[in-house]
Amino acid sequence: MVEQRTAGTDVPAVRLASISKSFGAITACDRVDLTLHRGRIHGILGENGAGKSTLMKVLIGLVLPDRGTIEVDGERCQIRDPHDAAARGIGMVHQHFSLVEPLTVWENVMLGDTGRFDAAAARQRVAEISEHYGLGVDPDARVGELSAGVRQRVEIIKCLRRDPGILIFDEPTSVLTPGESERLFDVLRLAVREENRAVALVSHKLDEILHATDEVTIMRAGAVVKRMETSEADAPMLARAMVGREVSLRSEASALGLVDSVVAGSGTVADPSGDTHDEPAATVPALRLRDIVARGSDGRVSLDGLNIDVFDSEIVGVAGVEGNGQSALTDLLSSLVSVEAGIVEVDGARVQPGRPGAMSDAGVSVVPEDRHASGCVLDMTVAENLFLVDIDRIATRGIYDPAVMRRDAARLIEEFEIQTAGPDAPFWSLSGGNQQRVVLARELSYSPRVLVAAQPTRGLDVGAIEWMTDRLRQVADSGVGVLLISSELEEILQLSDRVVVLFRGRIIGEMDRAEVDLEELGLLLGGASAEAAA
Amino acid sequence: MRPANGPKPAPAAAVTAPSRLREAGVAAAMYLGCIAVALLISAIIVWLTGGSWQAVFSALLDGSLRAPGRWGETIGIAIPLVVVALGTAINGRAGVVNIGQEGQLMMGTAFATYVGVNMGGPGPLVVVCLLIVGAAAGAMWAGIASWLLYWRRVPEVLTTLLLITVASQATGYALKVDWLLLAPFREDRSVRNQVSDQLADDTRIPRLDIWGNDFPISAFAVVLMAVIVFLLFKRSVWGFRMRMLGRNARTAQRAGVSTVTYGTTAMLISGACAGLAGAMMLSGGDFGNYRFTPGFANNIGWEGLLVALVARSHPVGIVVVAFSFAGLRAGSGFLAATGVEREISQVVLALLVLALLVPPAILFIRERRRALSATRDRT
Repeated sequence: MVEQRTAGTDVPAVRLASISKSFGAITACDRVDLTLHRGRIHGILGENGAGKSTLMKVLIGLVLPDRGTIEVDGERCQIRDPHDAAARGIGMVHQHFSLVEPLTVWENVMLGDTGRFDAAAARQRVAEISEHYGLGVDPDARVGELSAGVRQRVEIIKCLRRDPGILIFDEPTSVLTPGESERLFDVLRLAVREENRAVALVSHKLDEILHATDEVTIMRAGAVVKRMETSEADAPMLARAMVGREVSLRSEASALGLVDSVVAGSGTVADPSGDTHDEPAATVPALRLRDIVARGSDGRVSLDGLNIDVFDSEIVGVAGVEGNGQSALTDLLSSLVSVEAGIVEVDGARVQPGRPGAMSDAGVSVVPEDRHASGCVLDMTVAENLFLVDIDRIATRGIYDPAVMRRDAARLIEEFEIQTAGPDAPFWSLSGGNQQRVVLARELSYSPRVLVAAQPTRGLDVGAIEWMTDRLRQVADSGVGVLLISSELEEILQLSDRVVVLFRGRIIGEMDRAEVDLEELGLLLGGASAEAAA
Repeated sequence: MRPANGPKPAPAAAVTAPSRLREAGVAAAMYLGCIAVALLISAIIVWLTGGSWQAVFSALLDGSLRAPGRWGETIGIAIPLVVVALGTAINGRAGVVNIGQEGQLMMGTAFATYVGVNMGGPGPLVVVCLLIVGAAAGAMWAGIASWLLYWRRVPEVLTTLLLITVASQATGYALKVDWLLLAPFREDRSVRNQVSDQLADDTRIPRLDIWGNDFPISAFAVVLMAVIVFLLFKRSVWGFRMRMLGRNARTAQRAGVSTVTYGTTAMLISGACAGLAGAMMLSGGDFGNYRFTPGFANNIGWEGLLVALVARSHPVGIVVVAFSFAGLRAGSGFLAATGVEREISQVVLALLVLALLVPPAILFIRERRRALSATRDRT
């Protein structure tokens, strides 16, 4: 599909020299140099706010730099908008998907084209690209029915269709499972080695950078702090450069995406908060799901005979490849879907999950996977968001006092270290990590029996992840049962007392954290039954 | 990554909301600017077509405020506008669309007319009953749309709109039939066509006279309604949950706000307000001389919807905007006397309405953009 590019020329594909960009008083990029070569994957590592995305937006034409020069293939140029960038063969796969859910894959790929087009040829082309890179995407599938991993592959097809010589991936694995990440890197290697493209891979995960890149540039606070061949780098060195201080890789392993270190240290990490977790205190589970069958809005079975018990003070990790019922499970526990069959019990009392507010009334609080969809109201203030679920707490006979709300909110803001201009700031003005803190603060404020945390650290930076994992442990220590639903295996292994594996809407395996065998777990994630795995 | 924020130690600093005072100042400046531009363009158009722009503006001012008795007239027109707009603000808050106020208003008036003419008994009781029945009829009409929405997911934008036509036909028919609304034949009327009997003197809302300006006392009730809605929005759990539903239905459902219950309630209240507005128009005296006729609604339902949009569903804003719109309506009557062509004076009126519509649209888009860009740049 691609004309071979001349390899081995000395002219770099892209050279950014001394790029500076400020937003108001804040410098996002300060004299940053970056050189991308054809045939190499260049990692750009840094925490959230380090300036990585701004730099990439300069390259793709979304942000105009204040100073500095851009050279593409040795030619000095200006990139004013994404069209300029596209004309110069620069394509980007954004972290957040821009797909139209009701449309099919090929329709999404064709979106944005103008003039006449040939539907059959377009479908054909999508199928070709999919096959060439082994993406396994059906051109006729509806995007709304695809998992996050597949959606990202659709985005990749959108990008590759224009055959760009320079590819930018912005945090590509933040929504992917480990297996999907591996596949993504295979695609990247193919695109780079065989077809001689230049790739910039933006990430804050050390593991990813170490595995997938050839060279790495590390940014901190808007400036480049280190640049090196990946072969010469190791995890502690990168972490130090990125964070600017010594990092305990054990405690932050999940943040940095290091499965190996978590497993290697299983003796201590297995039970992070002492021995109290080993024996569930109560015999009646805090949350009990029995033979749950539920259907998604499309009529397909999303949960198929699911059984889970969560006892007081324990963290149960639900591992699984995304798309196997995780979101249905979260929705169920958020009173968003009703069950077709099965029993939901909280503290031994039955709950009708489909009734609005049923689960939260029963004491099940949820930190949802997509907080913008069901965890918050972006247009309301921070204070209001802290009281979405239980405004009754501060109301008498249906009337509440905004001053009391503000005061209570200020207390929670302090307690949960939420960085905000104040209780009246609009929720959308908060950073992702702080939004997540608001959600958690609210969910804990009504003394839940069970806390459901779905992908609680997705998209957060190292500091925020550390904070979140600590909090989850504290919650469990305080006697609340925690159900952790995550596709980040490291996170599950690091936090859980017990791991269950979700596959096609049912639990196909369960093991104590201390007994986790990675190989067996991997097989279970792939759907092999427990016996076959053993 | 937050490019708008840059390095880590300054989270959310650059995107904190500007102070409310500044926001209000910007909004006020925008309104003044837009009105100034509209007046300028109007003046140019009138001047180009050979009219006197001074006369036009002076006539508008005379007709709405300055001439004797005119601000009473303006208040009389503003009353139903406020009521309709308050209802619209409520359904807008809950995220349900109602654009059928015109039809709900017709139904409300029709039922109120029937009660007012046929009920008998003590006058004040009749007034109260006809207002209640009017509101109930409006609610029923909106309820049809709501029922179709939650039963079969028929978009309420369509149903509310189409039900206007049905209401118009149904009330038109009722006005043709003796046993429904058609006034009994009398010698003093030459044409006996589609007009209801007049409300008896004691079944009318009393009118107040202040320095030659008279208006129905329902004006005070309407201001009270605005205050109540304001408090509901600001302080009630119910208003809070309505807003939650409107802004994020999934979050609301999780937090125990039933889309069906709250959505239906909002729609019924909205319809009730439109129906009540019609009943108030009928028994207030500023429209149709206490009689119901096919053209009775006179776009008040539409204009009330517009008022809510312009006031961005803010109850206090609604009172102010409704008064402005009513002023334009009252003032337009005086334009004919200026010698300016009717078409031109209509353009002038339209420009002024447009001037009031532009700022809220800009404010809305700005807010959206800010929220969008803020969320897009987050990870």
